[in-house]
Amino acid sequence: MLSSMAATGSVKAALQVAEVLEAIVSCCMGPEGRQVLCTKPTGEVLLSRNGGRLLEALHLQHPIARMIVDCVSSHLKKTGDGAKTFIIFLCHLLRGLHAVTDREKDPLMCENIQTHGRHWKNCCQWKFISQALVTFQTQILDGIMDQYLSRHFLSIFSSVKERTLCRSSLELLLEAYFCGRVGRNNHKFISQLMCDYFFKCMTCKTGIDVFELVDDYFVELNVGVTGLPVSDSRIIAGLVLQKDFSVYCPADGDIRMVIVTETIQPLFSTSGSEFILNSEAQFQTSQFWIMEKTKAIMKHLRSQNVKLLLSSVKQPDLVIYYAGVNGISVVECLSSEEVSLIRRIIGLSPFVPPQAFSQCEISNTALVKFCKPLILRSKRYVHLGLIGTCTFIPHCVVLCGPVRGLIEQHEDALHGAFKMLRQLFKDLDLNYMTQTSDQNGTSSLFIYKNSGESYQAPDTGKGSIQRPYQDTVVENKDELEKPQTYLKVHSNLVISDVELETYIPYSTPTDTFQTDETLKCLSLERNRLTDDYEPLLKNNSTAYSTRGNKRIDISYENLQVTNITGKGSMLPVSCKLQNMGASQSYLSSSMPAGCVLPVGGNFEILLHYYLLNYAKKCHQSEETMVSMIIANALLGIPRVLYKSKTGKYSFPHIYIRAVHALKTNQPLVSSQTGLESVTGKYQLLTSVLQCLTKILTIDLVITVKRHPQKVHNQDSEDEL
Amino acid sequence: MSRLEAKKPSLCKSEPLTSERVRTTLSVLKRIVTSCYGPSGRLKQLHNGFGGYVCTTSQSSALLSHLLVTHPILKILTTSVQNHVSSFSDCGLFTAILCCNLIENVQRLGLTPTTVIRLNKHLLSLCISYLKSETCGCRIPVDFSSTQILLCLVRSILTSKPACMLTREETEHVSALILRAFLLTIPENAEGHIILGKSLIVALKDQRVIDSTVLPGILIEMSEVQLMRLLPIKKSTALKVALFCTTLSGDISDTGEGTVVVSYGVSLENAVLDQLLNLGRQLVSDHVDLVLCQKVIHPSLKQFLNMHRVIAVDRIGVTLMEPLTKMTGTQPIGSLGSISPNSYGSVKDVCTAKFGSKHFFHLIPNEATICSLLLCNRNDTAWDELKLTCQTALHVLQLTLKEPWALLGGGCTETHLAAYIRHKTHNDPKSILKDDECTQTELQLIAEAFCSALESVVGSLEHDGGEILTDMKYGHLWSVQADSPCVANWPDLLSHCGCGLYNSQEELSWSFLRSTRHPFVPQTCLPLEAVGSASNLTLDCLTAKLSGLQVAVETANLILDLSYVIEDKN
Repeated sequence: MLSSMAATGSVKAALQVAEVLEAIVSCCMGPEGRQVLCTKPTGEVLLSRNGGRLLEALHLQHPIARMIVDCVSSHLKKTGDGAKTFIIFLCHLLRGLHAVTDREKDPLMCENIQTHGRHWKNCCQWKFISQALVTFQTQILDGIMDQYLSRHFLSIFSSVKERTLCRSSLELLLEAYFCGRVGRNNHKFISQLMCDYFFKCMTCKTGIDVFELVDDYFVELNVGVTGLPVSDSRIIAGLVLQKDFSVYCPADGDIRMVIVTETIQPLFSTSGSEFILNSEAQFQTSQFWIMEKTKAIMKHLRSQNVKLLLSSVKQPDLVIYYAGVNGISVVECLSSEEVSLIRRIIGLSPFVPPQAFSQCEISNTALVKFCKPLILRSKRYVHLGLIGTCTFIPHCVVLCGPVRGLIEQHEDALHGAFKMLRQLFKDLDLNYMTQTSDQNGTSSLFIYKNSGESYQAPDTGKGSIQRPYQDTVVENKDELEKPQTYLKVHSNLVISDVELETYIPYSTPTDTFQTDETLKCLSLERNRLTDDYEPLLKNNSTAYSTRGNKRIDISYENLQVTNITGKGSMLPVSCKLQNMGASQSYLSSSMPAGCVLPVGGNFEILLHYYLLNYAKKCHQSEETMVSMIIANALLGIPRVLYKSKTGKYSFPHIYIRAVHALKTNQPLVSSQTGLESVTGKYQLLTSVLQCLTKILTIDLVITVKRHPQKVHNQDSEDEL
Repeated sequence: MSRLEAKKPSLCKSEPLTSERVRTTLSVLKRIVTSCYGPSGRLKQLHNGFGGYVCTTSQSSALLSHLLVTHPILKILTTSVQNHVSSFSDCGLFTAILCCNLIENVQRLGLTPTTVIRLNKHLLSLCISYLKSETCGCRIPVDFSSTQILLCLVRSILTSKPACMLTREETEHVSALILRAFLLTIPENAEGHIILGKSLIVALKDQRVIDSTVLPGILIEMSEVQLMRLLPIKKSTALKVALFCTTLSGDISDTGEGTVVVSYGVSLENAVLDQLLNLGRQLVSDHVDLVLCQKVIHPSLKQFLNMHRVIAVDRIGVTLMEPLTKMTGTQPIGSLGSISPNSYGSVKDVCTAKFGSKHFFHLIPNEATICSLLLCNRNDTAWDELKLTCQTALHVLQLTLKEPWALLGGGCTETHLAAYIRHKTHNDPKSILKDDECTQTELQLIAEAFCSALESVVGSLEHDGGEILTDMKYGHLWSVQADSPCVANWPDLLSHCGCGLYNSQEELSWSFLRSTRHPFVPQTCLPLEAVGSASNLTLDCLTAKLSGLQVAVETANLILDLSYVIEDKN
């Protein structure tokens, strides 16, 4: 039996599906989002605001819905964030496409789109649109990101080169992340917990490998305790194993440990061999030998100062007894993940009991700071003070909550946060080269014609300037130190403004391109700063003026001063990384690690604005079309975020202010504190576009009334 | 292939709290828990229609574990109460009632969940910081040098569980026993880090409650025949004990993954038995007096040991192993070969004892931190309830040892706290709101909902149609009997407040709890002399109540925050 759908109907059907999903996810989106309660088939309940979990829990049957869910889950696997935004953005894109083909229904769409719409309707070939989408995603988007958007990026790092991270900027990032992930009354607490965890685990040389480690072994690194209030959650130094000691012998001082993966006691026969018993005496002697051997091994371990034995298998009573006699604590039945985590932290290979016994040194031991039982809500755990050999300092998170479902939510959110940070710490290569020649019609548009804005001119011919420029960067480093230290001195001052962000717009390293507006803007900013903090920041402003002479120095300085309520502390200056990014963009464009933007739809509004600008200059109708649709769909996200706000903070106000600021080249002022990863946003955008392309290329859905095949099942196992 | 069956789609409902079905089920649950609350609470009989076990109870732990809750929202509520009870034992009903009340009261207001949750959280932290502060007017320090307050604490727990069916004398007797059992678990000369021992509860059903007793050491139940066979030991010094965790039955232990081929005529049983007898010889030569085995001892070995005047007791079971290890100071032996002399432990003496129809082998320790509480009650259900109550009381005493404070019980803490919050939100709303986006009106509304939720918890202490009043000085609770004449002569009608700290002869003014009152400042800083003079106070565990309060508010917040329920129908 076949049921078919018309090609034009597929967008309509997809839109209907997406709208239903949008209704569900938009209620838990953003800082005002609420919780959703899911029941599992086992009867357990789960609280969630995690878009991926919700979509999974729905067990959707509609084929298009299932495809969307598949796309979301593969996106989540990569980035750990953005499932809800995915759905909302996709829904708006579909709505836009639908409106194009159905112009009578939507008079709000601008004239431009309608005329194109007719053309499209005439062609009626979704394939073209999907091709245009692919072109957009692979050729245009990256260019716009690099050309226009990158000048607004901030860096999460306080020093780009060393990638050092200061606590307050991480706090801002995490708070914004957890806002959308955990209940409103807990998000501050959980983000503080995560922050603590991050800084306790990481050394200054922390690389991406630590994120990978935490991401891979997150289950082993946290302990859930039900029945206690959430506020009892805490970080514990060392590793907590979720089992009890088989034998516990209190020990202190020089504690060494070994890991074993097989029983220490020798057995009569190993697999594949045969043991022939000829007499009773033989049996008794072999038993005696086994006993003596076990005893000797344990004694030997003791002589090497081994006081802890971790075993991945159950050890016989005999081993346990001799361990107790020799003062060796034993933990049995460790999972393979636990063993490999411990091995990764301390770089220890398992101990193999020697066949021919000799009094040699055991090389596979590791020093442990302590090993003791830990009692959490009358359940006993093993608490190990491992001494890490890698850059990860082992710590565990104890998550408390009244119900299991809530703890799982927090666990999920923390895990997702690590995934997000893992992405943020990576450089993202953009599929775009600045040195494109003029033969390509689209890329020629990137060479900025003219506007009141300041801009960068990635002129390939100016390669010679590169070297002197890089020299100045090195100089800048020292210059930048001054205001930073100054600000730290006054870090106790309470700033009356809710938030003051001082952007000094980007200017090109080649000073010939410096426009008057930029200079004006520069001085304007400086005035504003001195007005507000004249008595305190006088010194600072002089620093500015001296540096103003050098022109380039200031332009890389981006002061962000935020008043955090209650504390009255100032955010340390986060240095804009354009000096790095720009110099790289001459060769190949990439987004450096740690790019962030303020939350509250900043990314969407910016991209919307630049896409519209781009569309105006575009000559090809498909491109204009696609850019317009994407630009408009992007606004759907801030619209949901500001849904409940009124007055000055309602979406139209925010939008108008932002566009005005962009047009007049003034800094964008965000009404919310918090940062979000640009990489995540960018990846989300490309994932949605890919998903949309997939939807559009389908012209017929065929329902097969047959039991799912094995191949099919393997596919569905990938679902979240 | 049945695994490959396609999954059924889930059921998704929006705004679950507005549905009539949820409201009804919530109010049914609320009625069940409120009617159980307090000393005069009504009992619930739980059974399934096919016969079998019948449970009569008024305790949250027994009640909720037997109730079959299907709606996910109710499940959240009951599991969070159960989780609280399993960590703190006490204040389960309080938590459940408060949570239901909060949800109900707040829903009536129709404010947005964001505001409600934020303000509830502020009010909660106000409560917590007040209850933990020095100025708190409803908590008293617990003095471990006298038994008075500790007894009050235990007595309050016993009287609040009417399903134990205790008379006044029995209550006194059992309270004293529980306190003794607890004190026996505290090591005598502890330095720094104290490790508490354990009180083992031994069942003696169909006996008078008055026959219950506490003994130091461990009782191992045995049949009379077995007990007769044990030879009496007459020894002036302590007895040497060997405790085996491995089996002594002569099984052949794990032989590995390969095959073991036994030639014809070779008897492994004999070989193992030889080994066991060798072990017996070693035990005898080491002058062991008592052999205890978790598993089974081979009859021949038993016979051998008996011949050499060694007492052998087997099938002890895994539950007794830890207390036995602790009490005797042995290392559980897992070897049939050479035994290290350090593995032996000792007991002071052993004897046989008979309680009711049961016979016990009694191990008397040298230094007791392990004791046995022999608990008697008339029938099974009452005994189960009494056992749960005793465990609760022992746990509460442990918690109190960690945090030596107790809250005034009988509802006085709740009314006092409500009065404090009303006063605080009325007079100093700015300090609570700080920089929040909420208005003062919203705060007043939520504070009223919060306070009345607290007050209706204590309102449910009264099940016989009486009235509940509160005084305008201390903010304590006073109850009047139902049929008392409606006169304004309150001092004669009321004798003591709920916790028993104040009597009505003071110059106090009262008002009905349900009526509206002007906010007043309840007297803070409890005078110590008042506590000293009162002998019969009703007290609550501070730790358990604090956690209960937090869990109730957090759970209510969670439930109020729900916008969708997705039910998996697979």
